Amino acid sequence: MSLLAAVRKLWHSVAPRTKSDVEEEFCSILDAYEGDLIRQGLSEEEARRKARIDLGRPSAQSEIYRDAIGLRVFDELGGDIRYGLRALRRNPGFGAVAVLSLALGIGATTAMFSLIYAVLLHPFPYADADRIMNPHFVKTQRPDVFQWFSLSEAQLDDLRLAAPVESVLGFSNGNLEITNDGLPEDISGVYLTENAETFFGVHPLFGRMIEPFDAGHPVVVLNYRFWQRRFDGDPHVIGRTLEMDHAQYTIVGVMPRSFAFNDIAGVGDVYLPASLMRAVANGPAPSYLPWIKLRPHVTVAAANAALEPIVREIMKIHSVASLAWHLGLQPIIVPYQQNLGRTLALLLAGVVLLLIIGCTNCSILLLARGRARQHELAIRTAIGASRWRIVRQLLVEALVISCTGAVLGVAASYWLARFPLLLSPDSFPAESVIRINASVLAFSVALALFCGILFGLAPALRLSRNDPARALPGRQAGSVAVPARHRWSVLIAAQVALTLLLIATAGTAIRGFLRLTQMPLGYDPANVMQIGISLHVQNPDEWSRIESREARAAYIEQIRQKIASVPHVSTVAVGIGATPPDADVQSSFIIDGSGDGEQPQARAMLVDQHYFATLRIRLLQGRVWNADENSRGDFIAVVNHAFSTRYLSSSPAVGRQLRIPGLTAHMRYQVVSAQSTAWREIIGVVGDARDDGVDQPVRPAIYIPYTAATRAWVQFLVRTEVDPLTCLHSIRAAIASVASDQQISNSVSAFNGTFTLSEAIERDAQYSRQRLFSILFGLFSAMALGLALVGIFSLVAYSVAQRTTEFGVRLALGAPRAHVLWIAAGTALVSAAAGIVIGLALDSFLGAVLAHWMQSPFAARSLFAAAALLAFSALLACLLPARRAIAIPPAEALRYE
Amino acid sequence: MTKPVELPQGTLEMLVLKAISLGPLHGYGILLRIQEISGERLEILQGSFYTAIYRLERRGWIKGKWGESENNRRARFYSLTASGTRQLKAETDRWTDMTAVVGGILDKKAHEI
Repeated sequence: MSLLAAVRKLWHSVAPRTKSDVEEEFCSILDAYEGDLIRQGLSEEEARRKARIDLGRPSAQSEIYRDAIGLRVFDELGGDIRYGLRALRRNPGFGAVAVLSLALGIGATTAMFSLIYAVLLHPFPYADADRIMNPHFVKTQRPDVFQWFSLSEAQLDDLRLAAPVESVLGFSNGNLEITNDGLPEDISGVYLTENAETFFGVHPLFGRMIEPFDAGHPVVVLNYRFWQRRFDGDPHVIGRTLEMDHAQYTIVGVMPRSFAFNDIAGVGDVYLPASLMRAVANGPAPSYLPWIKLRPHVTVAAANAALEPIVREIMKIHSVASLAWHLGLQPIIVPYQQNLGRTLALLLAGVVLLLIIGCTNCSILLLARGRARQHELAIRTAIGASRWRIVRQLLVEALVISCTGAVLGVAASYWLARFPLLLSPDSFPAESVIRINASVLAFSVALALFCGILFGLAPALRLSRNDPARALPGRQAGSVAVPARHRWSVLIAAQVALTLLLIATAGTAIRGFLRLTQMPLGYDPANVMQIGISLHVQNPDEWSRIESREARAAYIEQIRQKIASVPHVSTVAVGIGATPPDADVQSSFIIDGSGDGEQPQARAMLVDQHYFATLRIRLLQGRVWNADENSRGDFIAVVNHAFSTRYLSSSPAVGRQLRIPGLTAHMRYQVVSAQSTAWREIIGVVGDARDDGVDQPVRPAIYIPYTAATRAWVQFLVRTEVDPLTCLHSIRAAIASVASDQQISNSVSAFNGTFTLSEAIERDAQYSRQRLFSILFGLFSAMALGLALVGIFSLVAYSVAQRTTEFGVRLALGAPRAHVLWIAAGTALVSAAAGIVIGLALDSFLGAVLAHWMQSPFAARSLFAAAALLAFSALLACLLPARRAIAIPPAEALRYE
Repeated sequence: MTKPVELPQGTLEMLVLKAISLGPLHGYGILLRIQEISGERLEILQGSFYTAIYRLERRGWIKGKWGESENNRRARFYSLTASGTRQLKAETDRWTDMTAVVGGILDKKAHEI
């Protein structure tokens, strides 16, 4: 109601008097004048007539009023808009093509803008997210590898005292199990230092975030998705209890959907006060990954310089102290900008091209239709319309088209923007929520106006320059060749050239993706599934049973054998962070006979002896260890081919010795074998399996028995004869038969989840990026091709329709059909050909840039294929409508007049 | 009857303000009063007259109010607002200055220069 009142008030300030008010006043004046005239002796009838002749009609008075107070422009614009809409309705084919051309472009551009807005401009819901830093070590030897570090609570306090620091959040991920009702569920918990509320500054959906007074209290805050999944989005969940690991926690809050802390260590299902970690910890003191929020106006460089001495002091006892390193604070947005910036820039370039092609199409259509309207415009000019008035009307009509297109486009963008996220979910921040917000709407409105003027101006200027004397004599004007053809030609050539650019880009993307899919992986991912389990560290009874190295290895082996006995399961292997295509972090090692100064790096893969058979990694030399050696864990190792060529090229690898000094129990819940850091003999060399992403060269790897260093979590690699997911149920049952409450990790994105290896490849950053490119650019280029063809088709069709008489006469006079066909389609054909040539030139110029940005070689062959495709379709688009020109029976054509 | 005078652009609004300043009037009354004061020498175009009234009201210099006319008919009466009074004074001063200057120039005789 108040909105209505506001609108009324606004309207009142624009036009204070109503139409009837103005007319009533005028009538009162009319009456008074009439009375005077009667008094002067005129008859009533005559007085009435004279008054109206002298003063005018009451109904016209409102118009005078609106003109006087400056509303006339709006009235005229309203008229133009109504006329534009009517023109669209009268010519639905034209309208639909024009509106759709633009809706595609505007929709795609708006979608891309909202994606960029959500991903790069505002990905995080946190207050002052631009000041939140993720600190890490940058090793001088390997500046490209970032290493996070964790700190104790006292060390976090040290950081908090530093001058440039506003606050520091410590967090630590852990697994918890819901134990109260029927279905035990393994969930991921994030312990947050109790300043979480002020650090994040995110308003909870219900209840509250973890606050300082929660220290030591068993409270829990729920993640939105977990709340939806587990509690069906029940708003009355606050105050209820959640039993996890046989302890009661009070639910005090639910976070909004956009809060999904965090992408680094894994999104938590629940958030708990960090002080609870001390209660459950039975190993070394708990440690936290830090996030640092800097004070306003502190530069990253200044903060680095100020914090480095503090971190150095803290790290003195840490192993990193021996290596050369410096502190690097990284804004939390940076990894996404690095990974996605180029991708999104390329996609944006693609949609802008699409938009330009759509605009060009509208220009062509308007010009083509303008020929039919020349008569109408000439009449308007002849009866006194100024050129500005006609330009304005044509522009308004163009804006009507572009705004209609924008409405459709914005509606479509809502779904279009989700498309890249569906195709490549792991590349985007979990917390970026794509929605149509004020900035996106403002962007699309501006875009619509801009497009309307862009494509409307050229036709408007062209058509308004219209000589009524020449256009008016009659419709014979249509039989005269009309100038301005060269303007269409330029538009068509530009459209074709841009389309070719898009198609060639799509070709490059698709070829790059195909190359990636055909690349030998070195292992066979088909029908292999990873099943991750977390051992029950939080349940003291169970944990004491499997805490020792031998008991844990026996427990894992028991589960492995149970899984292996499930029908359709062929082999089962054990690995700890050794699942391709990405495997565990690098470790330094020492080879016998090498100098001390060298610190060669290789991936240390903790696996069992079945790993190679399960993944079908070939054994090249020597042998793989046996079951006894596996349970002992020491003195042996297997290396991959990359390792032996890189480090042991001079002599046979088998028989050499190496040791890994870092293989110590430095993490919680980790147990190592007696001689884990002692010398190991290389007993075999296996083939290279991609372990650093599907497109990266294989890194040197050392495989050692996983019992050398077990952790609280482990993964089973299961090869099945059928689709592995169909066996999942029986595998769960098999695991439960070993320990009834042993659950498998359900999370898909976390390191220790359950998924097939084919899924893992699809989630690979490069793979998903290439797939995204090939699908989206394939779509863009298909749309662009469609638009360009529609443009050519409608242009030729229009000109044929306009020149029916001319063709009839020519045919009647005996012109060869081929000649008439050439007259009808020639200009469009020549322009399309010119466009292809320009496009080829453009592509060879831009090819190198594109290839660099897409990170795949530019394919010249796909360029020529694209040119051929485009030439063929352009020919069809010209000839199909042009055929009508020669199909015209001369008699009928002449009757047309 | 003397020769009718054509009004220069923009002066009609000033005349309407003046007419109303002598006391609230309805539209027809304004028309009559101007013609009366001018001794029937001004021929006012109907269209521009209404435009002038509407504009003056829009600018807030005059204010219209429905009331009863002398012969008990409903009519819209206009009165000057405070800003209208100021405007009339400013316009009058400007007009006086301008006519004085222009008149002075036109009155010059050759021997006076």
